[in-house]
Amino acid sequence: MTTTYTVFQEQLPELFRKWSKEYALYVPAAAGGGFFDLRPWREGLEVAWEYDVAYNPPKRFLLPPRETLVRYDLKAYTAEPVFEAPKQILFGLHPYDLKAVNQLDQLMESGSPDQNYMRRREATVVMALDPLTVSPTAFWGSIGGDRVNHGFDLYWTKIGPASFLVSVGSAKGEELLLAAGAVMAATAADREAARRAKLRAAGLARANALKYNWEETPRILGRSWDSPIWRKYAVMCLACGSCNLVCPTCYCFDIREEADDRLEKGERFRAWDGCMLESFALVAGNHNFRPKALDRYRHRYFRKGKYIYDKIGELGCVGCGRCVRACTAGIANPLAVFNELWEESGNEY
Amino acid sequence: MSIKNFSPYVPRPATLVAKKQLSDYVTLFTFEQDNGKPLAHKPGQFIQLSIYGVGEAPFSISSPPEQKNVFELAVRKIGAVTQALHSIEPGQKVAIRGPYGSFFPVQQFVGKDTLFVAGGLGYIPLRSLLRYQLRHREEFGRIVVLVGTRDPKERIFTDQLERLSARGDVELLETVDRGDETWKGNVGLITTLLPKVQLDPVNTYVAMVGPPVMYRFVIADCRKMGIPAEQIYVSLERRMKCGLGKCGHCQINDLNACIDGPVFRYTDIEAYQEAI
Repeated sequence: MTTTYTVFQEQLPELFRKWSKEYALYVPAAAGGGFFDLRPWREGLEVAWEYDVAYNPPKRFLLPPRETLVRYDLKAYTAEPVFEAPKQILFGLHPYDLKAVNQLDQLMESGSPDQNYMRRREATVVMALDPLTVSPTAFWGSIGGDRVNHGFDLYWTKIGPASFLVSVGSAKGEELLLAAGAVMAATAADREAARRAKLRAAGLARANALKYNWEETPRILGRSWDSPIWRKYAVMCLACGSCNLVCPTCYCFDIREEADDRLEKGERFRAWDGCMLESFALVAGNHNFRPKALDRYRHRYFRKGKYIYDKIGELGCVGCGRCVRACTAGIANPLAVFNELWEESGNEY
Repeated sequence: MSIKNFSPYVPRPATLVAKKQLSDYVTLFTFEQDNGKPLAHKPGQFIQLSIYGVGEAPFSISSPPEQKNVFELAVRKIGAVTQALHSIEPGQKVAIRGPYGSFFPVQQFVGKDTLFVAGGLGYIPLRSLLRYQLRHREEFGRIVVLVGTRDPKERIFTDQLERLSARGDVELLETVDRGDETWKGNVGLITTLLPKVQLDPVNTYVAMVGPPVMYRFVIADCRKMGIPAEQIYVSLERRMKCGLGKCGHCQINDLNACIDGPVFRYTDIEAYQEAI
């Protein structure tokens, strides 16, 4: 059975202090304008326990927007790898974001393992937190994003006004939890309270729900290549890439480089890219393999709803609703698209 | 997780040893790997070539597998990296990683006839396979090579093509989309060459590389001639950036051209809307 502890809110400042000596510690906090984000913890920063969604997805901690891969010497024509892996704690990830991290882990490790990603991940401690509120555009409750049973070092569930049940996911997590002294073992009543809190959390995002079992999504997409839906939405697409940017599972990147002004040394880095951007599939000679917004829009939904599923058995969409909120044209909406496709397919599933 | 002190993104140096202009915009580059080892590629594979300070881009390998550390690329001057590559001289260095990707399953072609269909620069990767087969000529049946170019000025490897047709054991047919006053040969799209060759379709394997628009028509014609779909191999090139199946740029539906391709058996991709 999972080891569980009961932790009181008053114990947290001391824990945060201890952790932040060794780790860059990020916690959910208000980010202005009614938004929240994971922010560097500092003494006195108020944790937003009731945050609905972090404005930025957690991928930026594991696959930074710009990451140096290679440093080279233009004179000697030599190159060496660059690995950066700061020790960091991501505190308070909601389960759908934890699921997104797990998915990145799987995709980056498969095939040719991504050494840069894996080092960062290895140096990262993940502490999940069950949500208490839900963003109006989220739909993780019906897409399998509410329950995640692996990938965390500690999992926090609020069970009282100032108390948490903490489940241990790794030895490192337990060691960190006990870093500021003994912590009470959870009682059966606490565990029951956590179970009920989890049920409540799972119910939160049911207001926006898929109308069918999420596992049918790849089959529905499988017969939707020529659906009129793609055109209906894509005609409004501005190809801005905002949906890619805020998506916790979008990880496509470009590889670019910069050299110093004397052309002696330079570095090659990867930078986030997005399949919705017009140049994404452009090749030499000006041939574009996805020239139309429709091609790109459809590709993104197929990637989320089918291609990723065909690889790892879960959807590439975790239902966080960030793209719905970020879309400048109001057309990014996996929930609406999947539901419409399902209706179009004659509600067959 | 298996963490290694090794990055697949770090290229290794190679030195340009020869440079030969093939047409106004295409040049053949011969390189030597500085580590003294053969590139150890198979026909149809590609490498990522870096010019430090400019960038990195994927190129098909045009030479056959070698025992020595040399390899050839034929490159059209068209973007930043290829411009920079054209400006370097023998003795100067580039950096490479790879070879990457799938390749023509040459062992399956043994004892069979091979039909090469090369549209434009498609001859460059096919040349690797062709030269391999010519070195082991006795292992293969007929070798039929169809070459289509937009206009006579853009023809590449013209002296080698002449030698090919002079050998007597290779059937070479060439065409240009638009002729000019210098051109005495066939005029028309590459599909107009197909009816000119008598093939034993069941015994023929096809290796096809050309511009995106070419595949659909040539494949349809090959099928009409009775060549089984599973004996048709195509190379589909996309914007391979990482070469490792991660960056997403070269996706064909959910295939990655860099690791699942670039060489595909037609029956493996015919159901993919983004392939052909």
